Formats: sequence, structure tokens, C-alpha cells
Amino acid sequence: MSDSRHSRRAFLKGAGGVAAGGIVGPSALASSATESTTRAPKRLAGELDVELSINGAKQKVRCQPRTTLLNALRNHCDPPLTGTKLVCDHGSCGACTVLVDDEPACSCLLLAVDARGKEVRTVEGLANEDELSPVQAAFVEHDALMCGFCTPGFVMSITACLEKNPGASLPEIKSACAGNTCRCGTYPHIFDAAVAAGGRMRKGGSK
Amino acid sequence: MSVQSGPQWKARSEMKVLNTDVPRVDGPAKVSGRAKYAHDIRLPGMLHARLLLCPHPAADVELLNVEPAKRIAGVVTAAELADRPDRTIFLGQPLAVVAAETPEAAEDGLRAIEVRYREGGWAVTPEQAAAEDAPRISRRQPNALTERETGNQGRTERALEGADATIDETYVVPVQHHCCLETHGMVVDFDGERARVWPSTQAVTGSRGEVAQALGIPADRVEIVCDYMGGGFGSKFSIGPEGLAACQLATELRRPIHLMLTRTDEFLMGGNRSGGRQRMRAGASLDGKLVALDAEVWRHGGIGRGSNPGQPYIYKAETDSMRIGSVRTNTDANRAMRAPGHPQASFAIESAMDELAYAIGMDPLDFRMRNLEDPVYHRQLNRVADEIGWYDHPNRETPGIPTGGTNVGIGFGVSTWGGGGRRVCVVTVRIDPDGSVTSSAGSQDLGTGVRTYVGSIVAEELGLAVSQVTGRVGHSEYGPANASGGSTTTASLAPAVKDAAHNARVAFSERLAEWLECGPGDVVFANGEVRSGTNERMKLTWSEACSILGSDPIVATGEWQSHLQTSGIHGAQAVKVEVDTETGGLRLVKMVCIQDCGLPLNRMALRSQINGGMIEAIGYGLFEERIIDPWLGVALNANFDDYKLPGSTEMPELVAIIDDDDERQQVIGMAEATIIPGQSAIANAVANACGVRIRSLPLTADKVLMGIQEKA
Ligand code: FES
Ligand code: FES
Repeated sequence: MSDSRHSRRAFLKGAGGVAAGGIVGPSALASSATESTTRAPKRLAGELDVELSINGAKQKVRCQPRTTLLNALRNHCDPPLTGTKLVCDHGSCGACTVLVDDEPACSCLLLAVDARGKEVRTVEGLANEDELSPVQAAFVEHDALMCGFCTPGFVMSITACLEKNPGASLPEIKSACAGNTCRCGTYPHIFDAAVAAGGRMRKGGSK
Repeated sequence: MSVQSGPQWKARSEMKVLNTDVPRVDGPAKVSGRAKYAHDIRLPGMLHARLLLCPHPAADVELLNVEPAKRIAGVVTAAELADRPDRTIFLGQPLAVVAAETPEAAEDGLRAIEVRYREGGWAVTPEQAAAEDAPRISRRQPNALTERETGNQGRTERALEGADATIDETYVVPVQHHCCLETHGMVVDFDGERARVWPSTQAVTGSRGEVAQALGIPADRVEIVCDYMGGGFGSKFSIGPEGLAACQLATELRRPIHLMLTRTDEFLMGGNRSGGRQRMRAGASLDGKLVALDAEVWRHGGIGRGSNPGQPYIYKAETDSMRIGSVRTNTDANRAMRAPGHPQASFAIESAMDELAYAIGMDPLDFRMRNLEDPVYHRQLNRVADEIGWYDHPNRETPGIPTGGTNVGIGFGVSTWGGGGRRVCVVTVRIDPDGSVTSSAGSQDLGTGVRTYVGSIVAEELGLAVSQVTGRVGHSEYGPANASGGSTTTASLAPAVKDAAHNARVAFSERLAEWLECGPGDVVFANGEVRSGTNERMKLTWSEACSILGSDPIVATGEWQSHLQTSGIHGAQAVKVEVDTETGGLRLVKMVCIQDCGLPLNRMALRSQINGGMIEAIGYGLFEERIIDPWLGVALNANFDDYKLPGSTEMPELVAIIDDDDERQQVIGMAEATIIPGQSAIANAVANACGVRIRSLPLTADKVLMGIQEKA
């Protein structure tokens, strides 16, 4: 299963899960509720221990096959890693972005079991002791956050982009966070922060 | 300035901290994932709860049996909501709740609930609701009700007849959603005696009373904690049905309950900005006067009243009249949303003003100024016109015509808001012998930077760096504070912080005077030192000064001081847009906003707020619209895939200007105003580019293309 390319979206659709439907009304919510009068809801039985490597440390996480990586981080890890946010659970906002083998990924679309054997980095793993990473520091200096709920996702997307190419241009930076949504409207300051962080990473050669 | 006089803001030129760019103090916690929001609270034994929502706009609940849910592995309990109705009246009305050991099990439990509905007659669109045979939505009143009439319609009719040019057009705005990234909800930890509660709220103080009532215990046994919250925009004043459900479970189970809405729940029951329809009949004279306006304003707020301040909004008409009312539908009630009613009013009047200007062949900027009495708007409009390049723009008096290629247009709009405060907050400033300083207020930081100025106002007063003062907010134990709505936080809270800081300084000066061999009025706090104002050599470092306190810290409180704040703000915005006249696609090139706000507390946070207002208006203007199928009564886009929010690739160049010509030395709240006119300016820019006037939001490519076709 770990080699498979299952996305959770396809997985949920296959399982008839209510969370996968975009349409709400008689066709989704109601049917799943009313049909339950005649048949038990489909669910995958049993829990299992999944060994994950998170921010460089191995951890055994007890969860179910259907548990998303996001859910595993936030609710099944010890201590819980709640820096990664649950916002849409649909792959459409980027708030749950983590790096999987250095590639940005929506952890709400990934099953925890599919993260076995991969290196997962979360926002909690970026700062060195108390020293913020260049991207994090630039976010603070440029006020690239307001309520801050989208911030970890943006920090991860920009980190992935700049670690690959600290010289990324503004359009490249914009497309690196095209999957992230900020309702408070911090985009212009995020762009400023990303450009500044790139500059610092080029000079310092730091990660 | 003598310390004996009442608190006064320093002259701007003397400020070291305020009116500068201050990085917010909770930035490091937010960028590193350490900031704990209600969503992130994890307690031993905590259960995850989910709500069951009615999937019909209106239905009789014929059967609701939660027992099967209780048999699902991991589910701890399932219950009907205490006040659940037999007949639902809006799409998404919550009915039952499940609590389980894991979020997955809670979802399983939800699906196991046995429920049977008999769909009743319903109306989800204003047209359906206003129809003759429409089912009655509220027992108390008809679905469509005119609530208020203003002006003399007969006189307006006569003035319209005498006008040189008239328009008669209807402008439609959709229902928009707040889309707080953190959904509504709370964590409740109740042991039967006392409760600790983490709500995602705009009202720490108000939540305490609501929770106490729900749990049936005195308010002084409820502690509210909201260190961080992921956006409110007006939708999070009350604990809501979700909060009541969490309290109900906590009472039954005596285990910590985590109940946060899912994204779809949030769309269906978490509130919205009301839509509306406004018919504007307006007339102008050839010399550019708005001589008459008759407005018929309908608000669409679901089962709520909707919101609109009325017409002619900011402009002055020689004669005007209006009828205003609401049409109810079987959808969630509207709630306050950043500048409630104003963006709706703005879209109709700013569009109508533009149409009239072109009808008399006048520059729409000039036409606006002729009908705006307040000179501040003239100054601000000139400034944004300069910045956007209006004076070099070809289509100033006549809109362009579709070229087949790209057309460029510019549009304008203005805004207003109150932003004054009131007496609620009590703030405590404490200076400890070890040199630490805290400033505490039971307010909340929605992302506006409240926590930062709660500390930085004190730092300014005591001549310290921002990092030397700990600003503390988000806790009911820190004292009473008003709810954060209507941009009232700054003008209610900042004066109380200033007063507390002032009182702390006076008290500290009295303790230090003897050591510095000067009068208390001559003690100077500057650059991290305390010195005598009469003898340069008599000075103490901050830690030396504090150590003199021995074991008696300074504890000073402060209250609201009316003279430190005022109300009444202005803003103007300009937008440059590119219209692809082949596809109808729009690209925003540049957007400029100038905003006054009295005394700026933190310039960087202000620019963030201004950007945020412009960007939410871009969403309203270009993308956002709740869609409910009128035949099936089904919500079609209650998720972030199909409800489009503005993203990074749609950002134009954004220019946020703080209006420094506003020299008022008092603080005023400003966040609402920045969201008001952006969508109107965008619509005006499209019309200016190619002569296509879109009178309903959002300005999607299909509407623009249809308009271009009609012109051809
Ligand atoms: S929560 Fe995963 S993309 Fe929104
Ligand atoms: S800072 Fe609030 S959503 Fe981005």
C-alpha cells in the first residue's frame, strides 16, 4: 500500500464517504443519514501502528488505515503536532501543507499509512531551538500574517520553494503558494517576506 | 509634559514605538506552529464532537433516533440537541450531536443516526420567497416586508423629471461567506463545578456569560481562554448552537469536548454577508449635481434581516427617498460581516454614480467630488487618482469600446465608518521589581495586532523597547473588554491601555522621585532609563529603577478616556483592470487604497489591514457567491473547491496608503472601511475599460462576455 498512489480523494469516493462530496443536500448528507436505517455505515475495521518519521524522529502512531496524515499529526501523535492546520479537509486551501521527502503536500489528502518510509517535515520542525528559520523570521519581520491560521501552510510552501531555489522569482513564489488560501489577505506581505528570505538563504546558504 | 496631567498621546514626532512599523509580538508563535487556537487544544480524555445538520431548507423531522450511533465503536454518546425543533427552517439547521474518542469515530456515529424528514414547502431564493404562493418562512411576518420609508417620494419623482439625465437600474449582490479559516466552535472542560473553555471568539467577555448560562453555573466559575483565533470578520460574537451543543455534551459526560464545525457545516450554519437587490432611479444635472435619487432596497439575509445602511450612502443628493426592507428565505441567517451592509450599499451607489457621470459626459472622479461634501474625500480621491494613473488615462469622460484585444479601465469608490469606542475595558499594567512589565486586557486579537499594541502603548509610555513589555490578551481573568466588532476595539481598548500606562508611570515616578532627587513630575522615562529631568547625572537603568520597588510591584489600572479616541473615518480606492474582450476574463493590474485613522498605533499592522480589506473586496467583486440550487434546495458550493477565494496568483499590485494628512491626535478603528468600496471600483473599472456595465456581483467572465456580445 505504501507504494500505491492512492489519493484520499479517490479513496473516499470509492468508500462512498460523505466528506468527499462537494454537494450537500438530499443527495449527500441526507442519503447517508437515511440509508443508515437499513445498513451499517461502511468503515474499515481495526487500528494499526504506523511508523512515521516526523521532523527527523521516528514515531509509532496508532491510527486506522483511513486516517489522514493530517489527522495523525494533530490527533494521534504524542505530543500532538497541531501546528499543521485543518481548514478544508479537501485539498483546496493548503493550510495542512507539510513536506514529504522535501516536496510540499496537502496532509489532508494523504493517508498516514502512505507516509511510511518517507520523511515528513512539519512547521514545528523548521526552527532550530529558538532560532526561527529564514522564512519564518522574514514572515515575522514583514508582517506576513494576521490571524495566523493559514501561516504554517504558507511557511511550508515557501520553504519548499526556496530550499530548491533561493533565487525564485516573484511569479515562481506566487505559484509556489497558489494552493494556499489566506482569508485575512496577507499575500502582499507574504511575497515581500519570501523575496527577503530567498535573499538571506542565498547569502547564508542556510536551509 | 508633566506626569500629573491626565493622559495625552505624545506628539507623533516624539514617538519611538507608536506610529512606527512594529512586527507583531505573537509572530514567532504563529510562524512556528506554537500558537494554540481552539482547534489545537488537546486535553487528556478529550472527545471529538460533530453535529448532524438538516439537509433540507425546511422539513418536519419525522424520526430522529440517535441510538444506533451509540453502538458504533469509539462513539461515547449521541444526543438530540436540547432545543431541536420538530420543523426545521433553514438549510443546515443542526439537530443532533455525536461525541467520540476520535474524529473518525464521530463521523461514523453521525452516519449511523437514523433520521427521516418530510420535506416541507420552502424558498431558497428571494424570487421564490416573494412569490404569491410561497410558504411562509416566519410566523411573525410576511416573507417580503418593507420596514422603513425615508424622504418624500413625490418630490423625488418631480426632481427626476426635471433632471438632465436619469438612470433606472437594479444592482444585485450575492450572499458572501466569512470563510474564517478556523471554523466556529470551542473546547469545553467542565467538572461539574467549574469550567475552562477555549472558544474561537470575537468576544471573550461575552462568551463567559453565555457559557455560564449553558452550563448552569455562575459566571465567576467560568474561565474563557482565547489566546489565538483564526479569523472572525463579524461571525463569531456568540457561542452559537455549536457552543451550546458542546456545553450540553460536557454537562452529560464530564469529559472535555472538542466541537469545531467542519468546513461544510461552517458554510451552512456559520453565517454570511446578506445579499440584496437595489433599484436606483437617479438623476443628474449637466453641471454634475446628483439632483434626485429614489432607492428601493431589499436585503437578503436568509431567516435573518440582512443589512444595508441605506442610500444615497456617502453621497449627497438634492432630493432623495428610499424604501428598505428584507426578503426572507429558508437559509442561514446573515451575521455581521466586516462593515455590515456597507459593501452592498457601496456597490449600488458607486455604480449608479458612474453611470450618471458618463450619461452627462463628465469625468466620474469630478462627478463624485461634486457630490461629496467632506473635503477629506476630495484630497483622498486625488491621491488615489494620481497613484493609479487616472490623469494619463485616455477614457476619462467616455468609457472605451471593446477592441477585440485587451482593454484597460480605471474605477473608483469611497468609504466611511465610525470606528469610535466606548467605556468597557479595564486594563492592568504591572511593573515588577525584577524589571518585567506586563499589560493585560481581557480583549481578543483577531489578527489585527491587538496584543502588540496592548504592550507597545506601555513601552512608549515607559521609554522601553516593545520586547520589554508583555502584552497579554484573550483571557477572561484579565478584566472586562468589549467584543471586537464594528472596528470598536482600538478606540475602546487603546485609551484604557494608555490610561493604565500613564497611571503606572505616575505611581512609579512617585516611588523614584526621592532616589533621583527631583519632584515626581520631573522623572523622565526614555531609552530604557529613568532619570531626573532637572539633573542629567541622576539616572538609573531600568533594572536598577525596578529593583528599588523592593517587594512591592507597581500595579495600575486604566479605564477608557473619551478624549484619547474619536470616530469618523474616510477612505478612497482606485482599481486598474485589464479586460480581455475576447474571453471576458479580467485581470486586476493595480489597486490603491488610502485610509485615514487618526493616530496610527502600528503602521505595519495598519498596512496589513488595508491590504486585507482590498483583498476581501477582490473576492466579493470577482469570485465569491453562495449558490443554492433553486429546484433541489441543495447547497452547491459549500466547500473551498467550489466557493472561490482570492489567491496568490490573482493578486494585483496593492498599494496601501495611511492618510498622514489626517492629523487627529486620537485613535480610531479603521478595519471595516477598507473592505467597503473595492468591488464597486472594480465594476467601475470594467465599465470604464469597455463600456460593459455589470450590475450583479461577482464579475465573472461569462457576464462580461455577454455584455460585450450585447454591445457588438
Ligand atoms: S486542509 Fe488540507 S488543503 Fe485545506
Ligand atoms: S492570516 Fe488569517 S487566514 Fe491568513
